[in-house]
Amino acid sequence: MKRYLLLFLSVSFIISSCTETNLSGPDPDDFDRKAVLENWADNIIIPALTKFSSNTESLKTAGNQFAETPTQQTLESLRDEWKAGYLAFQHVSMFETPKTMEIRYRNNLNIYPADTAEVTENINQGNYNLNLPSEIDQQGFPTLDYLLYGLADSDTGILSFYNSGDNASAYRDYVVDLVTRIDSLTDLVLGDWNSGYRNEFVNNSGNGANSSIDMMVNDYIFYYEKNLRAGKIGIPAGVFSGTPLPQNVEGFYSKEFSKELFLESLTATQNFFNGKYFDSETTGISLSDYLNFLNTIKSGTDLTQLINQQFEASHSRAQNLNSSLFEQIETDNSIMLKTYDELQKNVILLKVDMLQALNINVDFVDADGD
Amino acid sequence: MNISKALLILAALSFTFSCDTNNTDSEITTPESYEFTRDGESTVSFTGQTTRIKMATELSLAMTDFDNSTEQLLLEMYRNQTSNGGDANPFSDSELNTADKSIKSKVAASTDFYSSNTATSVEIKNQFESWISAQVNEVYPNENVQAQPGVAGQIADGSSTRYVSAKGFEYNQMLAKGLIGALMTDQILNNYVSTSVLDAGNNAEENNAKVTLDGESYTNMEHKWDEAYGYLFGVSPNKAKPLATIGEDDDFLNEYVGKVNNDPDFEGIAQEIFDAYALGREAIVQNDYELRDQQSTILRNRISKVLAVRAVYYLQSGIAALQETPINYGSAFHDLSEAYGFIFSLQFSRVPNTTDPYFSNAEINGFLNSLEQGNGLWDVQTQTLLNISTSVASKFNFTIEEALN
Repeated sequence: MKRYLLLFLSVSFIISSCTETNLSGPDPDDFDRKAVLENWADNIIIPALTKFSSNTESLKTAGNQFAETPTQQTLESLRDEWKAGYLAFQHVSMFETPKTMEIRYRNNLNIYPADTAEVTENINQGNYNLNLPSEIDQQGFPTLDYLLYGLADSDTGILSFYNSGDNASAYRDYVVDLVTRIDSLTDLVLGDWNSGYRNEFVNNSGNGANSSIDMMVNDYIFYYEKNLRAGKIGIPAGVFSGTPLPQNVEGFYSKEFSKELFLESLTATQNFFNGKYFDSETTGISLSDYLNFLNTIKSGTDLTQLINQQFEASHSRAQNLNSSLFEQIETDNSIMLKTYDELQKNVILLKVDMLQALNINVDFVDADGD
Repeated sequence: MNISKALLILAALSFTFSCDTNNTDSEITTPESYEFTRDGESTVSFTGQTTRIKMATELSLAMTDFDNSTEQLLLEMYRNQTSNGGDANPFSDSELNTADKSIKSKVAASTDFYSSNTATSVEIKNQFESWISAQVNEVYPNENVQAQPGVAGQIADGSSTRYVSAKGFEYNQMLAKGLIGALMTDQILNNYVSTSVLDAGNNAEENNAKVTLDGESYTNMEHKWDEAYGYLFGVSPNKAKPLATIGEDDDFLNEYVGKVNNDPDFEGIAQEIFDAYALGREAIVQNDYELRDQQSTILRNRISKVLAVRAVYYLQSGIAALQETPINYGSAFHDLSEAYGFIFSLQFSRVPNTTDPYFSNAEINGFLNSLEQGNGLWDVQTQTLLNISTSVASKFNFTIEEALN
């Protein structure tokens, strides 16, 4: 139903814009779309992936060290690398390429909640194949979350799984398999950008459905809607199920990082909109400039400003959240729901108003669920 | 939309004028609720249909229950019998086990299409058994194998995992969507709303005199019409006013009437179907068989159209997935397996005022063969999918674009 509403809305916007648009207004073809693509590739995506790739390398090293000597110290340094990597991943998760689609990159790194029963079976029986689509919830950051924080209530209890438990060596091997896979999949994605895809991406600067801008903007909005708004907040808050599902928060076992992961992702999506260089205060050309060029006005305010205000409103609403979203849902879910509502307002601004202004069609629909 | 509704009303009106001889005093109006009583007792009954929808639901889910299902169990669910005809208890719902009904006995079993065409009937009944057996013998052993051309196994569809045959088909989808035609649609359109069934034996005389069946509150004709209703609304929470939850009540015809009704191009079709059921039933109460048969023609057209719209919708979804970069095989296979089931189901459709389906068994088999040849869905051409879409849409006078929502 929502889909039809959006469709209806977008149709009515098109109709209203037909009557209001001045024919002598700016022509999208006069805008330097290639400059946007260059900024995205060279100042945001490749730097973020390069940084993330160094994180996954360190994660792999820490995982191997932990597997060699599982002590409190190696556990803690592995947890640190896991957390640093998980945060850095929030800056690359949204960017799809043919390569990431082919290897199902995001699904292999971050499907949660982890299926802990299957994880335990994999470890105990050893007959797993992490390449299989059915095993996406038995690997990646969420499964490491379980293996590093969730096996027992105390660190001593957790360490005993790796030292003295029945399948201690299998547990150690599984951790190594997971960190190795995160690192090697990331190498594939970064390697692809560095070995030709960057130029292909930048040169595909037209404005058709298969142009880089159209596809990246669609993937960006898909990420914002499904992975950020729904995955991190809406689903655990019970927006879609009626009853809250607190066990479905990101980083469920480590507990206190779920808010931080969400805020990092929110910041990353806003930075992308404004063309802010990765890990820098410099800003380059992006969607905000494209909208400004087209002079898009909605309710008397320019759309770029409205979208940024809505990002800020989401941020400030989220400030009140407990650092553990699990705790937040358990104590007062209403703040989660209010945060969701703020995030949802930007779905409308991005998916309806911005896409209409940019003359980009939505290329994804909600699966019909059967 | 409004025009077609207006035409319908006109047609209904002109009809009531033309049949003044039968119906001199009162104009029969469409009841808002499917509630009919005699001496204070409800005369509506369709428990057998409710039972079969529930059986089909359990069977459909069990198809992908790799850990617990066996070929024998699935076949017993289909037959509600053991392989040598003994009593079976395959269902988790014990009421289904004690029922003397089965899915299989009503598959391709309508009076109009199959009473003198048992060869095709048996072929179709066995087709479902072949899908069940292939699921267990071909797909189950490859549960943890990555599917490839010629190799059954699993394939990703977004974050979902689909389990497909060596040709890329999901047997569970073919079975579920195939039952919408072979069980529900065939029983409704070619059996229970047919004059051959409604007017069989002394039904008309008894209904005129309101002679009820032994120990029941309803006449035989009333009951037949209710059984047609039950295949669409048999598991609806409010069976008298079922439209509030249309689309949510089962995974079969009810779900897809709801889905087509949600497409703005076909909005209102659910109400048209409900109204035809309700007015047809009221016409039976009032002995107006021409008005009743007029409602049958509406049901035949609308329910057939629901199957056609969904067939085209899934064919087009499949084309879109095959055109993604990289090719989204998992999503395409899922959509096209559903399309396969809906196309298969179209052989049970019914052109109003004729004895024919919109597409014959031979035409349907031609479509399906074009999907199955070679490596099946792994190398199916979008032109093939487009051709079938065009054939189906043009037969029903809607456009491919209209089916897209």
